[in-house]
Amino acid sequence: MPAATMAVMPVIEARELTKVFRRPDKSEGLRGSLRHLVTRRYTTTSAVDHVSLSIEPGEAVAYVGPNGAGKSTTVKLLSGILVPTSGEVVVGGIVPHRDRIANARQVGVLFGQRTQLWWDLPVRESLALLRDMYGIGPADYRAQLARFDEVLELGELLPVTARKLSLGQRMRADLAAALLHRPGIVYLDEPTIGLDIAVKDRVRDFLRRLVADGTTLILTTHDLGDIEDVCRRIAIIDGGRIIYDGGLDGVKDTFARERCMHVRLTTDVDPQSVAALLPDAEVTPGGSPGEFTIRFDRFVLTAGQVIATASSLAEIDDLLIDEPAIEDVVRKVYSGELELEPAEDGVGAGVGA
Amino acid sequence: MTTTRPIATARMYRRCLGAHLRAALEYEADFWILVVASIMMQATGVIFLGAVFARIPTLAGWTLAEVVLIYSLVVIAEGVGSLCFEGTWYLPWMVNQGDLDYTLVRPYPVVLQTMSGAVGLNGVGNLLTGGLLMAWSLSRVDVDWSPLRIALAVALFLSAVLIKLSVTLASTSACFWVFGASFMLPTALHQVGELAKYPVSVYSAGIRVALTVVIPFAFVSFYPAAAVLGHGQDSWVGLLTPLVAGYCVVVAGAVFRRGLRRYESSGN
Repeated sequence: MPAATMAVMPVIEARELTKVFRRPDKSEGLRGSLRHLVTRRYTTTSAVDHVSLSIEPGEAVAYVGPNGAGKSTTVKLLSGILVPTSGEVVVGGIVPHRDRIANARQVGVLFGQRTQLWWDLPVRESLALLRDMYGIGPADYRAQLARFDEVLELGELLPVTARKLSLGQRMRADLAAALLHRPGIVYLDEPTIGLDIAVKDRVRDFLRRLVADGTTLILTTHDLGDIEDVCRRIAIIDGGRIIYDGGLDGVKDTFARERCMHVRLTTDVDPQSVAALLPDAEVTPGGSPGEFTIRFDRFVLTAGQVIATASSLAEIDDLLIDEPAIEDVVRKVYSGELELEPAEDGVGAGVGA
Repeated sequence: MTTTRPIATARMYRRCLGAHLRAALEYEADFWILVVASIMMQATGVIFLGAVFARIPTLAGWTLAEVVLIYSLVVIAEGVGSLCFEGTWYLPWMVNQGDLDYTLVRPYPVVLQTMSGAVGLNGVGNLLTGGLLMAWSLSRVDVDWSPLRIALAVALFLSAVLIKLSVTLASTSACFWVFGASFMLPTALHQVGELAKYPVSVYSAGIRVALTVVIPFAFVSFYPAAAVLGHGQDSWVGLLTPLVAGYCVVVAGAVFRRGLRRYESSGN
C-alpha cells in the first residue's frame, strides 16, 4: 500500500538514498596497473540512485530487479552495513549506520549467498553465541529453538558443524540465526536461492507465518514463487532506481499487457480467417479443429472485441482467459525485456492504474 | 561502541574466543605443530643472544638477564596477540571478502567481533617461551621486589601488550583504504617490531626516535623493562608506558572506525 493513503508511521523510511562506488579505472595488464599508479583515474557508479522507500510496520515487500540493479546494496544501506553517499535512512527511529548496536537489536538480516554461522562450530554453538550477544534469556531461547524446530526442523542440524551442512540445511540454520532475537524488521536477501522445492516450500511457509505475526519484511529474491506467496507489495529496481513501487496487482495491471484467450468454436474454422479479422492479435491453432489461442495487447484490443470477432465466425462453445501472471512481468524485468516507464513521483506509481 | 557494560563486553569476548579455541583444539596435530614451531622460532633468537653474550659481558650497558627481560616482553606481547586477538590479522581478508557484513548487524562492537574471530595456537608456544624467559630473567636481575614495584611491573607490562595490539590493529585497518598491499603492511610493521627485542640504545638516534615516537615499539619492551629494573637515568620514561598505551588504543580505535565508514562490502 502506498504510504500516502495511511496514517501509520513508516518503520523504514529511505529518502533519496544514494550509494556511489568508486572503482580504480585500470587498463589491462601490468602496464595499465603502473599507469594507474601515476594517473589515478576512477570511475564512479551509482549502485543505488536516489531511492525513496516508505514501509509500514507489518508490511511484506518484495524487492526485485535484475542482477546488479542495486538490490543487495539497498538492503545493506537499510541495515546499516554500508554508509550512504547521500540521502537519509531511518529504521525504527534509528539511523542504522550511526547507531549500529541499537539497530542490530531491532533487525534480522540474512544474505542467502553467505552464512553468518561460525564455520568450524556446530550450529548449536553459533546460536548460543548469538544468544549471548543479544542477551536472550534461557526460557526465550528454548522457546525459539522449539519454534524453529517445528517449522525448519532445526533440531537435527544443531550438532552439525556449519561447514558440513548442505545448502538447504545451511539456509534453515541461517534463518534461525537471523531471527533468533525476534527482530521486528527482517531483511532477507535471496533466502531460497539454490534450495530444492520441498525446502523452499517450508521456508515460504515460515515467512508467511512471520509476516502474519506482524514482522516487517523486505524480501529480495529471484524466485517468483516467493513473491506471490509472501508479499503483497513489490518494488522493482533497475539501474539503481526504483521503477515501480506498489501492489502486486498493480504490476499486472500496469505491465502485464498481454492477454491470452483460448477459444473453442462449435464448428471448424480456418485459423487464417480468424487471424485476418484480428490483424493486431497473434492467432495459433489449438489441439483440435475449431480451437484457437489468441494473444493480444489489452491496450490495442479489448477482450470483448476478440470475443465478438470470434463469435461472428461461429458459436463459441468454450472460452478461457489466462490470468496474467506477475511472474511474466518479473521474468521480463529480470531478462531486461520489459520497457518500463519511470515511476511517477517515485512511490506508488502504477497502483490502480 | 558500548562502554557502558565493560564486564559483559569482556565476558562476551571470552565466549567468542572460547568457541574458536574449542574448534581449533579439534585438530590435535595442528596444535602441537604450532606450539613446537613457535617455540623454535623464539628460541632461535635466544640462542643468538646467548652466542653474543658469550663474547661480550654487556650490550650497551645491559646484561644478558636484562636483555632477556626485554626480549621476553616482546615474545609475550606476540603470544597474547596470537592467542587472544589473532582475528586482527584477518581483517584485510575479511574486508576484501565482504565478511564484515554480519558483524555490522550484531549488537557487539565490530572491532571486538573481528579481533576474537580467530585463535592462533602458536601463541601458546610464545607465552610458554616468553614466560620462561621472563621468569629466568627476573630471578637473576638485581631488583628489590616491593609490592609497589610488582604492581608497577604488572601495570607497565599490560600496557606494553596493549601497545603491540594497537599497532597491529591500526596497521591491518589500512585495508579499508588500500586493498592488495594492505596484506603486507602489518607483516612489515611486525618485523620492525622485532627490533624492540633488544635495547634500543644500541641503535642510531634516528631509529631510536622512530621506535619511540613514530611507532612506539620501544614502549612494548625497552622502556617498561628499564623502568621496572631502574636501569639508567632515563628509566622514568618507562613510567609513561600506560599513557602511550592509552594514546595507541585511542588512535587505533579511531583509525578502525574511520575505516569502517569506508567499508564497501562486496557484490554477490
